[in-house]
Amino acid sequence: MSPRNLGLFFVFSVLNVCRLVLSDVGNVIASDSAENLKQVSDPSPPGSAGANSPPVFKPAVDFAFPLSLLSSFPEDLEISEYCRELLAVFGQRYVAYANCLVPAARPVKVCQNCFSGFGSLKEIYTNISSDKVGPVNESCRDSLLHSDRLMLVYLLFSSVEDIWKKSACDQCVSDGYQSLNNGTLYFLDVLNETIACFEKYRQGNLTELCTNCKSFYKSLNDLYGQKEQNQSLCIDLEDAMNMTRKLWSKSFNCSFPREETVPVIAVSSFMLFLPIIFYLSSFLHSEQKKRKLIHRE
Amino acid sequence: MANITKKVSWSSRGDEAGAAWEGTPLLNGSERPSVSRQLSGERRLFQIGRLSTVDLDEEITAEEDSTSWKPKEIPHNEKLLSLKFESLDYDNIENQLFLEEERRMSFLGFRCLEISRWVVCGLIGVLTGLIACFIDIVVEKLAGIKYQVIKENIVQFTEAGGLSISLILWAVLNCAFVMLGAIMVACFEPIAGGSGIPQIKCYLNGVKIPRVVRLKTLVVKVFGVICSVVGGLAVGKEGPMIHSGAVVAAGVSQGRSTSLKRDFKIFEYFRRDTEKRDFVSAGAAAGVSAAFGAPVGGVLFALEEGASFWNQMLTWRIFFASMISTFTLNFFLSIYHHKPGELSNPGLINFGRFESETMAYNFYEIPLFIAMGALGGALGALFNVLNYWLTIFRIRYVHRPCLQVMEAMLVAAVTAAVSFIMIYFSNDCQPLGPDNSEEYPLQLFCADGEYNSMATAFFNTPERSVRSLFHNPAGTYNPLTLGLFTLTYFFLACWTYGLSVSAGVFIPSLLIGAAWGRLCGILLASIAQADSTWADPGKYALIGAAAQLGGIVRMTLSLTVILVEATGNVTYGLPIMLALMTAKIVGDYFQEGLYDIHIKLQSVPFLHSEAPATSHWLTAREVMSSPVTCFNKVEKVGTIVDVLSNTSTNHNGFPVVVQVSDNDEPAKLCGLILRSQLIVLLKHKVFVELAQSRLTQRKLQLKDFRDAYPRFPPIQSIHVSQDERECMMDLTEFMNPTPYTVPQDTSLPRVFKLFRALGLRHLVVVDDENRVVGLVTRKDLARYHLGKHGLEEMHLAQT
Repeated sequence: MSPRNLGLFFVFSVLNVCRLVLSDVGNVIASDSAENLKQVSDPSPPGSAGANSPPVFKPAVDFAFPLSLLSSFPEDLEISEYCRELLAVFGQRYVAYANCLVPAARPVKVCQNCFSGFGSLKEIYTNISSDKVGPVNESCRDSLLHSDRLMLVYLLFSSVEDIWKKSACDQCVSDGYQSLNNGTLYFLDVLNETIACFEKYRQGNLTELCTNCKSFYKSLNDLYGQKEQNQSLCIDLEDAMNMTRKLWSKSFNCSFPREETVPVIAVSSFMLFLPIIFYLSSFLHSEQKKRKLIHRE
Repeated sequence: MANITKKVSWSSRGDEAGAAWEGTPLLNGSERPSVSRQLSGERRLFQIGRLSTVDLDEEITAEEDSTSWKPKEIPHNEKLLSLKFESLDYDNIENQLFLEEERRMSFLGFRCLEISRWVVCGLIGVLTGLIACFIDIVVEKLAGIKYQVIKENIVQFTEAGGLSISLILWAVLNCAFVMLGAIMVACFEPIAGGSGIPQIKCYLNGVKIPRVVRLKTLVVKVFGVICSVVGGLAVGKEGPMIHSGAVVAAGVSQGRSTSLKRDFKIFEYFRRDTEKRDFVSAGAAAGVSAAFGAPVGGVLFALEEGASFWNQMLTWRIFFASMISTFTLNFFLSIYHHKPGELSNPGLINFGRFESETMAYNFYEIPLFIAMGALGGALGALFNVLNYWLTIFRIRYVHRPCLQVMEAMLVAAVTAAVSFIMIYFSNDCQPLGPDNSEEYPLQLFCADGEYNSMATAFFNTPERSVRSLFHNPAGTYNPLTLGLFTLTYFFLACWTYGLSVSAGVFIPSLLIGAAWGRLCGILLASIAQADSTWADPGKYALIGAAAQLGGIVRMTLSLTVILVEATGNVTYGLPIMLALMTAKIVGDYFQEGLYDIHIKLQSVPFLHSEAPATSHWLTAREVMSSPVTCFNKVEKVGTIVDVLSNTSTNHNGFPVVVQVSDNDEPAKLCGLILRSQLIVLLKHKVFVELAQSRLTQRKLQLKDFRDAYPRFPPIQSIHVSQDERECMMDLTEFMNPTPYTVPQDTSLPRVFKLFRALGLRHLVVVDDENRVVGLVTRKDLARYHLGKHGLEEMHLAQT
């Protein structure tokens, strides 16, 4: 909370300065100063890492009414305490999820590590966006989600949801975001076995690795192929498989060698010679077709 | 009277003799009298084929004729005109029957005709679309099975060893399909071979190519093209669609099928060449539009290739047929793809959408496009020259059906072998795309999770290869792969076109062009600064494809529109047009278009839009055939039968004359009658004597002529008894009383223009007293062409 408050304070102080300079100006100049404000407030985040978004939120709302910045709004325009709480929880969970995602970027583990974070984030967002009327007899959906052009809460969530969809994590996580589903766990088991095998033989002769780990690798590959057909793959598994394949084919050089060049060349050159024989023989043996000329006498 | 038919009087024998001739094949439609040609003033040096002239008055008896007439035999070449081709009768025969019918017809009748024309066009569109849909689905299914089988085999043998077996499997599968297709074409219907565009071009030009619009041809064409595409040859299914559309049109508009012996008793009015030709051009347009999803392109194709006869209403109807055909195809394909009702995925070949940012082009790229056009023209000319020599060789030496089938199978095997070697030795591995855009990715020796990039080009149906060349992101192919692919596919496609399988050249040309175009794009991108995105390989692939196709077929307007429509992006109009223009200019410098070459090699008397440039000094007197076999207005049946059964002349049109005086001077022209009409008259025994004796006899109507159309029985099948030979036949009612005539001194270009513009079949040359002196037919005009040494004359030959 503290970096956020700090950011808020900073923004407000800048605003004050603006307001002092341009004491009675209309909306036009106010929006100009919004530009300035963004530029000014941009350098502020470094201290507050991923949590820089919320501070921008407040002023953006307030800017619709630039003349009454310091004073609070009348009771009916102010958002309720309940909604404010919801928003705060949303912010916390958002930060938590973002904090989880970034370290899981490479190698990709966004589904395995952060599914619970997404689950809770989604839960609070569902709360916010639901029609359900809170204790003070108002729904937070309108006041938090659509009361302004920016619709920041919505924007934030939809970008997160986009990441989730793109990574296809739904395929790996059980319903309700409780745990990874069985297929994924099994795949990870097989993967770990394979990797363990790799580790075991890595130091020694690589051909030995190729022969010894082949069964593991093959079963992993088959499982992957099967899952690929069922479309039950998420980015974690795809990435893990990709890395394994790279290890297998490039680092350990276990893919198939090109070794039957001679028979292939023999067969195909035989086929290539056939037409030559065909054309020669038809040239030599086939009777040339002659045309009878009709004379116009 | 100077009835010149007596010159061939050796044939005037009884019916017994006629029966004996049935063994000797009737020369199909030679319109040319091979009897003596009048000495026409000074002889020109250029006349190569004509060795001697015979005086008109000299009687040639049968014996002399047959002994002195030793045909000179020469190998087939392009400077021949075949006797087997006749003209179509595009000129309306305004005889009395026709006038009567017209008088009987009410205003409503004409309205009904107009409506039924639209109905026919709609039917043409629907049926053509259905055929396209059928071909597309069957090819996709069969090719899918084939590639799946081979892929599994390759995967299996990559691990276990023995890839040469996969190669053999591939070759055998290819051969099997191609053999099927080649047997159908070579043994059952040779005219269904090739793309069919040259044949349709000839038909629309007014040449009657035997059997070109039969139902059997359609069946062979459709199954043949399926076999050859599935058989992995370097061919496309687009050209044959045009032929198929034309056959559908010719069949539907007649309201009956002679092959199936079914007459639906509808559209009887359309049973003549003039009407049929209009529908055939609509069918060709519908075919193009179904093949490329390009309705406007289809109309323009019909305009460009069959532009001889044209009017606004016809254009509008053709456009209707094209549109219906495209959207029928779309509709049924949408059902097939489980998205019923979605009409926006047109064409057998779908180029995909060119709409991304990088596909935009800049002003400074125009010179590049023009240069690519020039390259396409040069490569196209090379393609055509190679194919020209190959085709000549094929006509001369590979003319037996079994040899043709064998050749096709060999090509299929070699195509498989070459593709396999290319794939086998390719080191170009690319990571698999996220959405599995490759239909049959082959891994072979690539790392796991990667596929062989050469295989996307070779191990695929050509249509898909074209699309992947257009749309795969930069870096999908490396330059070496593309270079090798271009080279091999160029020779394979060149070798394949002209085999006796039904297959088109559009897709292979596009593929070659797309490959080297993409190569250009990659090279340009490597030259340009690293951060610039203008050199998108897909864009250059498109221009390359256009240039290559233009360089090979030399179509201009219609091809531009077809390509623009197929890409669905009008802004590409300019670059495509420039590329095609340059390709045509450069290509024409070296060699003609591929279709023109094949028309020439088939010895078709094709009339181009203009007479040869330096031919104004030639007059009708020198061009015409003479003497002419004429009939009297009231002619003896025996004479008619004899003239018709004369195998050595086999004329198709006969001027009808009246005798003015008793002496021997030539009689005056009063009409023209066709062989087909005479045959119908003989069949119905319309003799003067019979008409007098049998008063109740039904009067012959135009319907009787239509019922016999288009396959008039040969004269041998008509029995005329000895008594009937003595009867007389009155031709007044049936002949065309106002045939087109020209004076003797009319220049060749003038005659040519008249002929071409009106679609004539016979043009009578008369002297100043309206006496017949000669007859100009299509072959008389078509034999003059502008060669390297000025005006040259082609020979007539039996083929």
